[in-house]
Amino acid sequence: MTPRRPEAGLTAWMSAALLLCAAAAGVPDAKAQQVAVDDAAQAYRQIRIEVDYTPAEAIAGFEIWYADQAFESTGDAELHSTIRVADTSVLERALESVVFDRCWSNGLPIHRDAAGNPVVNPDATNWSCALSGMTPGTEQWIAVVPVGADGAPLADTESLQPVVGRTDVPDERTPPPNTRPVLYALSLVVLSTVALLLFLRRQDALQGRSKSRLAHIYVAPALIALATLTFYPIFYGIWLAFTNADQSRLGDEAWIGLANFATIFAGPGVWRVTLFTFVWALSNVLAHVMLGLALAVALDRRGLRGRMAYRTILLLPWAIPGYISVLAWNGMLQPDGLVNGMLGTAIDFFDGAGSARMVVILVNIWLGLPFMMMVFSGALQALPASMYEVAEVDGVSRWDQFRHLTLPNLKGTLVPVSLLGFIWTFNSFNTIYLLTRGNPYSGFGEPGATDTLITHVFAVAFEYGQYGVAAAWSVLIFLLLIGFSWAYLKRTRAMEAVA
Amino acid sequence: MSGVAHDSSGRAAGKPTLAERWYVPAEISALRVWLPFAALVNVLILGGEALRGNAAGMSGTLTAIVLLNSLYVALQNDARRWRRTASRIFATVALIHGALFPLWRDISLYDLWAVSWLVVPAGLSLYWLSTGLSGAWCAGASDARAAELGLARNRRLAPKLEAFGLHVFLLHAVALVVAPVVWIVDVSISPGNILGGAIFDAFSLEHFYAVLGGEAFWLWTSNSLVVALGTTLVGLLLAIPAGYAFSRYQFAGRKGAMFVFMLIQMFPGIIILVPYFMVMKTLGLLNTSIGLIVAYSVTALPLCVWMLKGFFDAVPRALEEAALLDGCNRVEVFFFVVLPLSLPAVAITALFSFLTAWNEFLLALVFNTSNDAYTLPVGLASMIPATNQLWGDFAAASIVVSIPVVVLFVLFQRSLIQGMSAGSVKG
Repeated sequence: MTPRRPEAGLTAWMSAALLLCAAAAGVPDAKAQQVAVDDAAQAYRQIRIEVDYTPAEAIAGFEIWYADQAFESTGDAELHSTIRVADTSVLERALESVVFDRCWSNGLPIHRDAAGNPVVNPDATNWSCALSGMTPGTEQWIAVVPVGADGAPLADTESLQPVVGRTDVPDERTPPPNTRPVLYALSLVVLSTVALLLFLRRQDALQGRSKSRLAHIYVAPALIALATLTFYPIFYGIWLAFTNADQSRLGDEAWIGLANFATIFAGPGVWRVTLFTFVWALSNVLAHVMLGLALAVALDRRGLRGRMAYRTILLLPWAIPGYISVLAWNGMLQPDGLVNGMLGTAIDFFDGAGSARMVVILVNIWLGLPFMMMVFSGALQALPASMYEVAEVDGVSRWDQFRHLTLPNLKGTLVPVSLLGFIWTFNSFNTIYLLTRGNPYSGFGEPGATDTLITHVFAVAFEYGQYGVAAAWSVLIFLLLIGFSWAYLKRTRAMEAVA
Repeated sequence: MSGVAHDSSGRAAGKPTLAERWYVPAEISALRVWLPFAALVNVLILGGEALRGNAAGMSGTLTAIVLLNSLYVALQNDARRWRRTASRIFATVALIHGALFPLWRDISLYDLWAVSWLVVPAGLSLYWLSTGLSGAWCAGASDARAAELGLARNRRLAPKLEAFGLHVFLLHAVALVVAPVVWIVDVSISPGNILGGAIFDAFSLEHFYAVLGGEAFWLWTSNSLVVALGTTLVGLLLAIPAGYAFSRYQFAGRKGAMFVFMLIQMFPGIIILVPYFMVMKTLGLLNTSIGLIVAYSVTALPLCVWMLKGFFDAVPRALEEAALLDGCNRVEVFFFVVLPLSLPAVAITALFSFLTAWNEFLLALVFNTSNDAYTLPVGLASMIPATNQLWGDFAAASIVVSIPVVVLFVLFQRSLIQGMSAGSVKG
């Protein structure tokens, strides 16, 4: 599927244009409309129609009627589908293959509403749809009727002049994509992992470590799985970053050098989205660490009543599936939601860039707090109680105890946990996607106001279908994260623990 | 405390006495902590008033902040006597200002809560500044004997006051945590799709009937179950041997392999999502359970391996050595000695992979484009698109989905958290 209208299709229009409504229906607002069948774009059981029209306020939608014989009245035809006219800025362009009837408007994939129905913007001047479910090899009559806001047709539905189209693509399944290259690459990865393990095993044997003969066999399944499903995709992704892969080119992408990276850095909002990603991750980690530490210290107090109850309740944001709590906050923050209800206001928090950013950060703080709380709780419990008893006897105030005893002793936990929290928040997707989808909208192809690098890559890949560009973004994120992880692993001295 | 010697001359007019220097009633110490905190909360409330665009509320809250801060300053240790008198005046004014709140804010639950952050600190201050030992301290009437008594009393009172403050703090945290839960329950049992309004004002089970009576929910549940159970099974089959090998054997490449397992956790799914998607599409694994099972078992694998390694480390080696001496071979030792002993740990790891798969959203969103293949997370999220939002049905479904997960999590929280931090934090 390509979002651009194929040039060949333009020349191959065969059916005559026809005037449908306007004067006949006596509605002055309904303007001329041209329906044509694009024969070059016929596909299996699909007929593609092109509709050019003058936008008018009265048009609230289009009904597509069809029959396998000529008809004049909608009574003799069947309703194929409807297209609404509405503001599309709040909607999204459908993922590929979500819906059967692929539609375009002004050359781009059409927006979809919740029910999957296509929606065109009021400003659009044309749309086209590949109507599915057409019987191959027979002529099909198709008519498009504009309808008003009340659902009443704006054209005379008794004297329609349908266009004729047919699809002659034979009744057989499209051949499956060529799996050979992928299978070849996967087996190569498996074989090289096995070879590596055999080599390591031999080394052990040479060094006379006979006791660990079985170790490599034990590790093999996990390592092979990791190699095929993590390393291979990483390298495949790096290759994709230098190709023109997109929705229409699957498996036959071509090398285009650094063009994708040029696209990224020339695109609008690159630095804005990067900056917001850092603001997002840093503010979250700061709040998580400070509040988590405060809660952990509060819960750690000796003789606190109801400690188990508090602990259990405060763990809820961790225990409840994340997507559910994020969607719950989404509902609570709606203009008619609970938060506005309590404040007695009707603010749309997701409307302005500033407030939307604030909201996504606050909700994510709520979501991630229990993890930090529990980590610090665990670390606090490991501190000797006698230390605090001595301090108590010496009359050291609580604050000074915290500052001079607790904090220095927690440093070993604090630093790695903050780094880990930073990486996790940096990588998080659900909160932003389920709250705002990156909106407020900033323009087609541009990151939204609340998009982070991660959610933006998702949009580039699966909403705009630009796999190559998305892969290039992934490579950049990968490089950033290698830096962070290196810092983290160095701090945790993971290597020493391993050895 | 070094200044004590210089002040030992007694009660010069307006100067604190030795007793006063040494002795501060526990109530006053508590107020010194609580008042700035209350002022801080009022700053947040001020933000709320700004959101409302309520000018009277903003000036009222601003006044409250000023009063609470003045009170705090007046209660400082080196306070002259006139400042203590001033503290009573500030407390009285703050209390009156708070009592008159209907003049500058609405009367709603939120407003009552907001104003309580002025009335309660002011009221407590006034009460303590006027009565008992703290009242005497405030009046400058505490002598050496009163201080002696007071110090003993402080030892009893201070922990109670501290506990009170902690409970206030924790209860606020609890309220924030519980709010979405209460909201979901309320929406699920309210008729229609009302997002705000009074809590628990109507009752209807229509949403539960709609969700549980519909086909989609059960389809999504069975998809999720297949995927989560499959992930658990495959994940454990891969992770158990690897965890055991890392725990027990020294072998060439061990260090490198463990490092790789650690490193992989740091990378977000999104960077391999595009190639993943293309591989799955080529192999025809989109919209199948197998595609998700394979992907999930590998994403959860590193943490599972680390968890299991930690658990196996805790199984004493002496048992294995004894079994070896008794003629078991290595494989038998693993299956008949180590595995039964670490069964609880394996169960925890299984629970962890199950929960991960059960709650995962991103991969399921990308790999499942057909409604029939949705797992619960994607299915539930699909109830709330930009238009036609079925909040009531979503809330009902969320409750049904969450309850088992939350119960499992709470029951096994200790072991789960221990295992997870073993894999990520301890290193």
